[in-house]
Amino acid sequence: MSEVKNMKNKTVTVTIDGKKITANYGKTILEVARENGIYIPTMCYLTKVEPIASCRMCVVEVEGVDGMILSCQEKAVDGAVIRTNSKELETERQNIMKLYDVNHPLECGVCDKSGECDLQNKTLEFGVPEQSFSAKDMFRPVQNWGFISYDPSLCILCERCVRVCNEIVGSEQLQISPGGYKSTIVNTKPENDCVSCGECMAVCPVGALVSTDFKYTANAWELNKIPSACALCSSGCQMYYDVKHGSISDPQEKIYRVTNEAEFSSLCGAGRFGFDYANTTAFKDKAKFEQAVEALKKADSIAFSSVITNEEALLLKNIAQETGAKLVCADAAGFAKFLKAYSSTSGRNFWSANLKTVAQSDSIIVFGLRVKDEAPMVKNHIAMAVKRNKAKVVYMHPMEDYAISNLVSKFIKYEAGSEEGVAAMLLEFLTRGKEMPDSLKEFVEELDIGNISGESSVSEEEIESLKLEFWKKKRFTLIVGEDLYNHPQAENIAKMLGVIERYSDFDLLIVPPRSNSLGVALVCDDLEANAEGYTVGYNAPGDFVLSALGGGDLDMPAINQQEGTIATVDKRVVPLNAALGYDGYVLNDLANALGVGKKYTIDLTKELPENRGFKAVEFDSLECVKFSPLGEDLRGYELKTVKKRASSKLEDVEDLPSFDGVVVYNCNSASNPNPFTQKAKLTAKEPKLIGSKQFAQAAKLSDGEKVEFEAEGQRCVRVFSIDTKMKGTIALNPTFDMGLSAFAVSSYKFYKVNISKVGSADE
Amino acid sequence: MSLDNFKDRNAGVQNYRLLELEPTPTTGWGKFKQVLIRSVKLELLVGLKVTIREMFKALFGGQMHTTKYPFEKLPISPRYRAIHEMKRLLESGHYRCIGCGLCEKICIANCIRIDTRYDENQRKEVSDYTINLGRCIFCGYCAEVCPELAIVHSGRYETASEQRASFTDFADMLTPLDELKKQKEFPGFGAVSPNADENIKKTPLAY
Ligand code: SF4
Ligand code: SF4
Ligand code: SF4
Ligand code: SF4
Ligand code: SF4
Ligand code: FES
Repeated sequence: MSEVKNMKNKTVTVTIDGKKITANYGKTILEVARENGIYIPTMCYLTKVEPIASCRMCVVEVEGVDGMILSCQEKAVDGAVIRTNSKELETERQNIMKLYDVNHPLECGVCDKSGECDLQNKTLEFGVPEQSFSAKDMFRPVQNWGFISYDPSLCILCERCVRVCNEIVGSEQLQISPGGYKSTIVNTKPENDCVSCGECMAVCPVGALVSTDFKYTANAWELNKIPSACALCSSGCQMYYDVKHGSISDPQEKIYRVTNEAEFSSLCGAGRFGFDYANTTAFKDKAKFEQAVEALKKADSIAFSSVITNEEALLLKNIAQETGAKLVCADAAGFAKFLKAYSSTSGRNFWSANLKTVAQSDSIIVFGLRVKDEAPMVKNHIAMAVKRNKAKVVYMHPMEDYAISNLVSKFIKYEAGSEEGVAAMLLEFLTRGKEMPDSLKEFVEELDIGNISGESSVSEEEIESLKLEFWKKKRFTLIVGEDLYNHPQAENIAKMLGVIERYSDFDLLIVPPRSNSLGVALVCDDLEANAEGYTVGYNAPGDFVLSALGGGDLDMPAINQQEGTIATVDKRVVPLNAALGYDGYVLNDLANALGVGKKYTIDLTKELPENRGFKAVEFDSLECVKFSPLGEDLRGYELKTVKKRASSKLEDVEDLPSFDGVVVYNCNSASNPNPFTQKAKLTAKEPKLIGSKQFAQAAKLSDGEKVEFEAEGQRCVRVFSIDTKMKGTIALNPTFDMGLSAFAVSSYKFYKVNISKVGSADE
Repeated sequence: MSLDNFKDRNAGVQNYRLLELEPTPTTGWGKFKQVLIRSVKLELLVGLKVTIREMFKALFGGQMHTTKYPFEKLPISPRYRAIHEMKRLLESGHYRCIGCGLCEKICIANCIRIDTRYDENQRKEVSDYTINLGRCIFCGYCAEVCPELAIVHSGRYETASEQRASFTDFADMLTPLDELKKQKEFPGFGAVSPNADENIKKTPLAY
């Protein structure tokens, strides 16, 4: 241990181009140079992954060392004297560029990458004057991979795409097929296995991987990049909306694509392809506006979804205070209570882990979260931990997820509904031999593990085997998710997790269920899950509906049409910008009519409650795009963590509810997480009930049958589809087609249904 | 010349010379005499003689110097920059424009707009192309930047119409297919230089 510490604090002093630099031990030459603003050209290097070392562009000379050194790969050693520029290096780099240019099609004129192409830039930078190499050209047709097209003749085989797909996304979809000049990138699995996140496309330095939808519709320099953050889930990933007028005859601005600082950060498929959900048909409807004001005045409840900004949440809170209405947020109420209960035993207001620490962990437990579908960025960081630190990942869920079987080292299945028992077993196992207050020790001793194990069907051996999994590991993270927040015993689960975090080696990551559930939970106290009386719904069902999806009583701007902030899973407050204009009324107008508004919605940014961790800063002082030279996310600001006294009171574990019969699980796919992305052209999908063969047998259904059942008080008509790779007797039921009702789901995610057949799919 | 020379506003000594004119009459009689002399001397006809001579030359000597516009037009320089034209490839008749967007980018009046899309043949199709001629200043930059020698200026300088936009429909700018054989290269801005061949460096090919 002490050795590790010593290493950590050790520094090295190197001289780069005559400049003496002191840096931490363990950094590469390139990293040291970049931190100090010294430029070394690179081609394959990508900050967010381990050095690829395929291009040799980053070569430098080190005094006393023969030949050239790859600066992206080589660690800076004490006393090294490094030169980044010399005649030889220049020739070397020029030759590399010449090789890249061999038979490269001269099609910059039509290429989507033109204007932001590394090959163009570097060819110009090294002034390639003429070509001295040649190779026989061959036929290399363009391949269509769904959202993405691959043009092998433009590919420079830098391997970035392969690397991100493996190391960041964990999808292992792409491979390089070696063969000298004949090498290409191959898509190894059939189309539908790719998670369609577009990461490969984002990091491609040339136009080899491009968006099929965007292809040839606009040029890089015509697009106006609006920096913002994705507000489709709680990761709040950095992104740009690339906007331009629609066409010659349509002067209205349109989002053409979404891009990001792919060097440092990532996006999932929803963020990258599900961008066109803006409410573009709204106009100022005076009569409706008056009705809305009246409705708000008489409302008993104001229901809303937590896919809103902090500022909107504060406006709603102020309106509710003015009118005396009850605040109802079905998708954040459970989470807010959960967070409170967790704080009571953990002694801190926020969980300790964040995405970065997940990626640095070497032992991870995922509990109560279908992580690939519901928190794609968390899944990405788990993948990073697996690929970089050989992390062991224990996935605990009632349903196995075959799509991440390459990342999961152990799957522990528990019965739906038994989360409280499983939490108790984890508590017992993880706090073994740790210092704890006596009352907690007693609690653990009194647990009837045998009984719990029987009911949850998690055997004691399975839990014991974790010991082996985590043998000699050092950084532990427990990731918990949405299944737990609306569990009948959610608060006790939260308290147990609080204890685990406080007394075991594990850090905890509580993944907020929706984009801004955390912000909503912090801004509004006493959120209720169910509406009563006359209800005004803000992006939620009600008697009078204010809807950003369109089709409500009064239109509201979608989240990409307004400025504001959201609080992310990283406990960061990040700003959003308006990608598109909006012609209708906004919530602030309603608030103004009620006397509690501001001039602009973002005037509220500095009024967000400081006692809940926010800072009193102006919206305009927050930065949408800010990364350190080595890629650390510095956008917005971090919510303030406060430590407080922890209680040690836990409730007894209740008997588990039984889940016999036909059970379904509410779950959307990563690229289509909610009704907004269902509105988007690329990500919209046909809603299908997906189950295993086993489920089909149990529910007496066959593939392609049209079924009907009641879910969340709504009738769902779906086509049933068998996924042969799936196991178990629970089916996946999407909610993205339920419109605003999808945001009103506050019940436990597993539930029994009565399925009736209504015919076959084509009827 | 230094700056000081410019700043020196003192005109100094100039070589002005006074014309030796008859003194202007001051008396009434003197004035009357002047009028009388000027009237009967018929100096006007002396001047008109030239005009009349030229008139006869034009009408009967076949030496007319005016053009009967719009029935006759003067030839203009081939490099003249009037309303744009879009050239076609001689071999295939396909339009030359590849939709690269460079003309749109360089246009200082910001009056070019292009719609492109991915077509069924995996090519970039120019679905529409317009120039707002009300704003165009006929600077010729678009023709100069065009890598395909596609957009050029024509000699069509008559731009009076109800709608100038009607000159710039993509189809209208393109060389009509039946006149493809008559299509000429534009020698103005952006044209290939006469010594272009000498400047070409050959890329090695492996076949
Ligand atoms: S990849 Fe780059 S260099 Fe190649 S055609 Fe496209 S823009 Fe040009
Ligand atoms: S497709 Fe792009 S990212 Fe992948 S190897 Fe080729 S050039 Fe690199
Ligand atoms: S949906 Fe979530 S993970 Fe995906 S890009 Fe948006 S914020 Fe990131
Ligand atoms: S001539 Fe000049 S102003 Fe007119 S379209 Fe071309 S670039 Fe624009
Ligand atoms: S510059 Fe030439 S090829 Fe490019 S878009 Fe304009 S007209 Fe077409
Ligand atoms: S950047 Fe170092 S080898 Fe490519």
